[in-house]
Amino acid sequence: MLLEVRDLHVEFHTRDGVAKAVNGVNYGVDAGETLAVLGESGSGKSVTAQTIMGILDVPPGRITAGEILFEGRDLLKLKEDERRKVRGAEMAMIFQDALSSLNPVLTVGDQLGEMFTVHRGMSRKDARAKAVELMDRVRIPAARERVKQYPHQFSGGMRQRIMIAMAMALEPKLIIADEPTTALDVTVQAQVMDLLAELQRELHMGLILITHDLGVVADVADKIAVMYAGRIVETAPVHDIYKAPAHPYTRGLLESIPRLDQKGQELYAIKGLPPNLTRIPPGCAFHPRCPMAQDVCRTDVPPLYDVTESDAERGSACHFWRECLHG
Amino acid sequence: MSDNTKTTTAVADDFPQQRDGDTAPLLKVSGLAKHFPIKGGFPIKRTVGHVKAVDGVDFEVYPGESLGLVGESGCGKSTTGRLLTRLYEPTQGTIEYRGKDITRANRRELAPIRSEIQMIFQDPYASLNPRQTVGTIISGPMEINGINPPGGREKRVRELLEIVGLNPEHYNRFPHEFSGGQRQRIGVARAVALQPKLIVADEPVSALDVSIQAQVVNLLQEVQREMGIAFVFIAHDLAVVRHFSQRVAVMYLGKIVEIADRDSLYNRPRHPYTHALLSAVPEADLDADKKERIRLEGDVPSPISPPSGCRFRTRCWKAQDKCATEEPPLVQLSGSREGHLTACHFPEAGSTEARAEDIVMDPGLKAMEDDADGGAAVSKG
Repeated sequence: MLLEVRDLHVEFHTRDGVAKAVNGVNYGVDAGETLAVLGESGSGKSVTAQTIMGILDVPPGRITAGEILFEGRDLLKLKEDERRKVRGAEMAMIFQDALSSLNPVLTVGDQLGEMFTVHRGMSRKDARAKAVELMDRVRIPAARERVKQYPHQFSGGMRQRIMIAMAMALEPKLIIADEPTTALDVTVQAQVMDLLAELQRELHMGLILITHDLGVVADVADKIAVMYAGRIVETAPVHDIYKAPAHPYTRGLLESIPRLDQKGQELYAIKGLPPNLTRIPPGCAFHPRCPMAQDVCRTDVPPLYDVTESDAERGSACHFWRECLHG
Repeated sequence: MSDNTKTTTAVADDFPQQRDGDTAPLLKVSGLAKHFPIKGGFPIKRTVGHVKAVDGVDFEVYPGESLGLVGESGCGKSTTGRLLTRLYEPTQGTIEYRGKDITRANRRELAPIRSEIQMIFQDPYASLNPRQTVGTIISGPMEINGINPPGGREKRVRELLEIVGLNPEHYNRFPHEFSGGQRQRIGVARAVALQPKLIVADEPVSALDVSIQAQVVNLLQEVQREMGIAFVFIAHDLAVVRHFSQRVAVMYLGKIVEIADRDSLYNRPRHPYTHALLSAVPEADLDADKKERIRLEGDVPSPISPPSGCRFRTRCWKAQDKCATEEPPLVQLSGSREGHLTACHFPEAGSTEARAEDIVMDPGLKAMEDDADGGAAVSKG
């Protein structure tokens, strides 16, 4: 395993009490593999990613338990200066909002080149040449001219390409993309996803793709982890999860998206609201919204059951996964 | 899904067909345009150009039907919505509401109509006054229009809260006490408070989470059916639009490129842009055989100086010389269904099978690479 997250717990101290954002997350990704982390806002998917990258704000955040093994080393035990060497060179992150992630007063060439001057000790001139090369690689037309431009002179899709170029610059082993296409139009979204998938294949990187969009995931991911209230409720290879979800939450999500081949009928909607993280319901956190909930769900936290049926590993944190899978 | 729902569905779906010549449109828009001036120069600011956000659109909305407006950002769909509600002053064209021209109507003339055309906004956080209680927000439209429902405004507001699935006891709460989905419900309650004839909904669900999105779409659909309200439903999500609208118009750079009944548009798109848009939608379905995908090159051109002729030609894989010189009219093409209008010189074949052949995969990216290699100054992107 390139990266393995083990039993991670993260909480935030807020005025309303302790918000338990991540409550025992386990997942792993191999080189050349794409893991999609799916969840709604507040499910803990981004906080987990920030913890892996080491960019979580502490305080108010606090990592209370867990390990993050990157090539066997526990990142949480590294000193900050060692951590810095990992960040950027070994693992990189792509954010949703490219405009606010880029520095508006520096040219994109300077920002791309900085990766090389800081991490590789290159001269400014060599770094500039590298920047042009990178922009070519992410298919920004007329890279030689555009390297001197500022972020605001690029369109949203082009800016996201620059973010990708920056993340790829030092050929890291792992990329974490947090909603990389959410802010983009659908035709541009398709271009950017293709580019990301292609570069990942070429460089044989591990990719963690964080998203709320079940559609984006279907095409590129190898496996999926679905998060709810800071826990992983289902994990499976992509094909299996779409064919037969083993958790009522996943099933609800899949049924609640209007599909192009349906129209007019009432949509299936998961009732109620996601829980308040300072007051996560006891037992299974999803039980107040679950159509299958029984007494046991209100008292016992379901472990991630092994629901493997074929060769690929699957897990579901539902007491009634059998009924869900076959019902 | 109960049988009951299905029957109502059928009625709503059949609506465009039921519409005969004698049904007058509720809203008729012709040649509508909005050009925003760009100011520049020093010391005296002068107008140096125009952003042609909407540049001549025609469509009709019939009572009780839902018309979807789709397109990418910058295509003018939201501006169109704001023109319809007269939040913007149109530059050109006319808007007729129930046969009456309201394009230039002044405040007093508009007053009686305002209560019949309402709007739902995208951002449920920005569109509710944080210092007013829910009760004040929802009774606002009644107060402005001097409407005193039997039993008083408060009773009516409580009823409305119940209709949109909120607790009537929350009458005195403030917006910050609600989640995004609940706030959007408040926005819906406010919009239906006066029992309008038309609601312009500008991306009403795109700020919401998937599970909440479905709840709000269902609510809007219920409201539409039960109150017989016509909708102009603006969204970029094609699946949501298909779900909600009987008729759909696709916009590109301030123009409508294709408009049709939903089945006709989604199953037999004739305009290359519509086709590309549909094929770019990622679908959460792996059983569907890997459908061919068209990858469009680059971004939407600037609306300040849109391309000559057909505006889509710079990204179109079918573009020929004619497309640069002659603007294609929005007409019914041979082989299209009644009411299916397309603005294209070289439309796609009318059936799905025939289309697969003439799609060139990804010609855009190749062209871009060629450009970049040649060092051509395509710096505008």
